[in-house]
Amino acid sequence: MNNQLLSLFQLCDSNFPTGAFSHSFGLESYIQEDKVHNQETMLEWLKAYLHEQLVYSDGLASKLVYEALMNDDLQQIWHLDRLLTVQNLPRETREGTQMIGITMLKLTESIYGFPILTQYRDEIRSKKAFGHPAIVFSMVAHGLAVSKEDTILYYLYSAISSLVQNAVRAIPLGQTAGQMIIHQFIPELNQAVERIKELTIEDFGIVSPGIELSQMKHERVNIRIFMS
Amino acid sequence: MNDWTGSLSLDLEDRNGKTVAKRVYFQGAFKVMRPIYADDSGQVCYYLLNPGGGYLDGDRYKMQISADEGSKVTLTTQSATKIYKTPKSHAYQETEINLKKGSYLEYLPDPLIAYQHAHYKQKTVVHMEPGATLLYTDILTPGWSPSGERFSYDSIQLVTEIYWDGRLGVFDHLKLVPQQQKISGLGFMEGYTHLGSMIAISEQMDAALLDELYDAVMTVEADFTFGISDVAIPGFCLRIHANTTQTIERIINQCHAILSEKWNHRTPSSLRKY
Repeated sequence: MNNQLLSLFQLCDSNFPTGAFSHSFGLESYIQEDKVHNQETMLEWLKAYLHEQLVYSDGLASKLVYEALMNDDLQQIWHLDRLLTVQNLPRETREGTQMIGITMLKLTESIYGFPILTQYRDEIRSKKAFGHPAIVFSMVAHGLAVSKEDTILYYLYSAISSLVQNAVRAIPLGQTAGQMIIHQFIPELNQAVERIKELTIEDFGIVSPGIELSQMKHERVNIRIFMS
Repeated sequence: MNDWTGSLSLDLEDRNGKTVAKRVYFQGAFKVMRPIYADDSGQVCYYLLNPGGGYLDGDRYKMQISADEGSKVTLTTQSATKIYKTPKSHAYQETEINLKKGSYLEYLPDPLIAYQHAHYKQKTVVHMEPGATLLYTDILTPGWSPSGERFSYDSIQLVTEIYWDGRLGVFDHLKLVPQQQKISGLGFMEGYTHLGSMIAISEQMDAALLDELYDAVMTVEADFTFGISDVAIPGFCLRIHANTTQTIERIINQCHAILSEKWNHRTPSSLRKY
């Protein structure tokens, strides 16, 4: 393993303080309705979330942003930033993702100092962009010369592992069960990357109706430990 | 790609408090019936219809609607949109709506019924000036097959883009491919059969209205589940999972009545069709 990759691993750590630990992206609604209540149901939810939502939004965006960076096509990146934000119809999930994106951007700008990160912040400051973690992550990975495929894989890994940590606290599950889920999920992540490689912008933003509905419902959940 | 099976274009304007068409054009298997004025509000209602009764293999439909300042219109269909089997090429509908400030457009179509082995794609693009109002709804049914099997269609794909003041403000992409997805399971239809959506955009949107709509939907007694949330521009999206078209229609009608009173100062008349 080289230092570049190790440097990106810092971002994949669920302790990297982006605020992702405060967001369940609709999972809490399922937990409250007792549809997700153990290792098995969590795994089922996670598969739906990854293969039917994340792949078409963050996952595909991560690939497209990486390609746009290779082509120096900044307009395409700002377009994807808007698409990612406006396709996220549930308010809490949209605003939560934006908050995570901006926090991640500030941190990574300080750590890595890549000019593209500063440009992204300027776009956000002048209200021309919103901020999204998949874009920040891809910018950092590209800057560290990590391959496109690995960029997508590690981004998905970081999103999933932080959700599993949240599930461990919320369901609750034992730490071992949490780690088992992450381990069992490795083939799913690879499968998702293979799928993303085949997708084009025409596939962007396909939602999973049930997951989206649960993200909207979360606004009305009375007792909550997550912001989304 | 100008070989449309049917195309329709309708440009509306306000003439002394009455909304009238300054241009109507349709050709092929797409038709608009004569305008209906249900009350003295000046708001016009048009029924769209497909004289063929349904969409066939490779059919392509195009609809263009524009509403000038002050014009108010209800668009609906005469009956459900049926998509028959499409062995060679998917059926496609493209809609473009342009709304000037101070215009009001509500699009309340009947449900979509895709038959066994049907592929359908729909793309709707709305351009709104701030100050315009849009109500847009969709109802997806589990389709139809001779054996009564549900979700026997091949795919339904709906793409909706709403531009607000020249910038993309809402992007909604639904794609149901029952053979490839666990359609009735967790994450998809969650055991329900019908999916209803309403997207409403207006500068008059506020938090109190979202609460009022939420409470109104909660009073509907039927088997359904729903979510409602603010989108990135002033407005909201409502999604409903239910087991009948009627349940979704009741919920949509409830919200439509509230929005029509608040945003349009008008009590909607029933869209009687049968």
